Amino acid sequence: MSITEKILCTKSHEFLLENADKTFTIGLTDYAVEQLGDIVFLELPEIGAEFKKGETFATVESVKAASEIYMPISGKIVAANNEAVDAPEILNEDSFEKGWLVKIEATGENETDDLLTYTDYKAELE
Amino acid sequence: MTKETFLHDKHVGLGAKMVDFAGWHMPVQYTSIIEEHNTVRENVGLFDVSHMGEVFVSGKDALEFLNKVVPQDITKLAYEKAVYCQLPNKNGGLIDDLIIYKLGILEYLIICNASRIDEDLNWLVRNSKEFDVKIDNLSHIYSLLAVQGPKADALMRKMGLTTQQESFTIQPAKIAGIKLLASRTGYTGEDGYELLVENKHSEYLWDKILEDGKEFGIKPIGLGARDTLRLEAALHLYGNDLDENTTPIEAGLSWSVPKDKKEDYNGKEVIMNQIQNGTQKKLIGLKMLDKSIARHEYEVYFKGEKVGHITSGGPSPVLKANIALAYVKNDKEICTGATVQVMIREKLHDAEVVKRPFVEKRNRIKL
Repeated sequence: MSITEKILCTKSHEFLLENADKTFTIGLTDYAVEQLGDIVFLELPEIGAEFKKGETFATVESVKAASEIYMPISGKIVAANNEAVDAPEILNEDSFEKGWLVKIEATGENETDDLLTYTDYKAELE
Repeated sequence: MTKETFLHDKHVGLGAKMVDFAGWHMPVQYTSIIEEHNTVRENVGLFDVSHMGEVFVSGKDALEFLNKVVPQDITKLAYEKAVYCQLPNKNGGLIDDLIIYKLGILEYLIICNASRIDEDLNWLVRNSKEFDVKIDNLSHIYSLLAVQGPKADALMRKMGLTTQQESFTIQPAKIAGIKLLASRTGYTGEDGYELLVENKHSEYLWDKILEDGKEFGIKPIGLGARDTLRLEAALHLYGNDLDENTTPIEAGLSWSVPKDKKEDYNGKEVIMNQIQNGTQKKLIGLKMLDKSIARHEYEVYFKGEKVGHITSGGPSPVLKANIALAYVKNDKEICTGATVQVMIREKLHDAEVVKRPFVEKRNRIKL
């Protein structure tokens, strides 16, 4: 199964992927990074930081502008992709796998109802 | 209604990402801003800048009139030469910045910012009452193509340019068989040409330049790279770094303002007073000391005190660092080598005051 069949997406262009160990990976969709263009800066939160669904947890900057990244669900940060911080251009190459942003432990319940499958997300973009 | 240049369909056809800029639907990038930026620094790039304004000034009093509206001394502008100018209001604040070209004894061309054409025309007409002068906005008749980069001259020669043209000159030329005006100017900090051509020839010329430029590594370049290129060269962007409350002296443009011009001009009293007695604020260049990026309107601090704000900022692909222009209070201690702080998302980040331009014009043509 390809990754796009397993993820859920937000309308603000984040994706959420459930891992085998019950943590979740959060990143930006391919559409988001394509729209941003060359990504030159990434700021990720500290391990242990907690955020509610919809809160800003990270910032990404393209050549032209800074954009905030929002939590698709509530959670506590358990890992951050430091390789992406050091070389933000990997988000342009592959935002789903190499360019993931953080891993979280979910702290809320039933928060995925408004998230979209990748197919529905793509359809919304049309 | 968003306006389109005559090359709009070419941009769309090339897969450009289009944005609204100053009322125009323009390409911001074709592939990647950084890649396009480096193409202009290393080889040659082609820009559609047809959104810019072309205003022709002619008539018996054309010289006297222009000399009244800009601080520069137009009496010293020779035939087929160009000069960088500003258009100050009565207080010395800038309505626009422009390039004035002398096309004939009584004929001048003004190239101005797309976002300011209406304000410029309004101001020029208001100031022309006592002069026998004709002001024609012919922006709708001409396209403007910029060919910029170290290989621009070789490409133009291949395409039919025969004369040796100095920097800041304009000459009638035939490029790919098309009659146009070739100006050796630009907004990138590189050598290059700006080609003023009738709209009906612009599509043919665009395609031909891209085709003939292949061997020089040419690429079409969008407004995104135009902005990063001009920032590295510390060239001002109207609306960011210049406005009606900023004089050319405050903007660090003293080099362009003659001290000995006899004729009166709008804002002269304020401008001359600032040359003699100094200004309240000044423009500085900054290099961020960490990976953060200073952006337009971010606050600047010095020794714990808010001293100004960023007007333009972003990555420098050549320096591989983040750079910015800022207005700060005119404090002697805020000088080259000093460290200031920029407030970015509620945190202060160190930046060093550095000399402008950030990137030297490496390919400056020898006269």
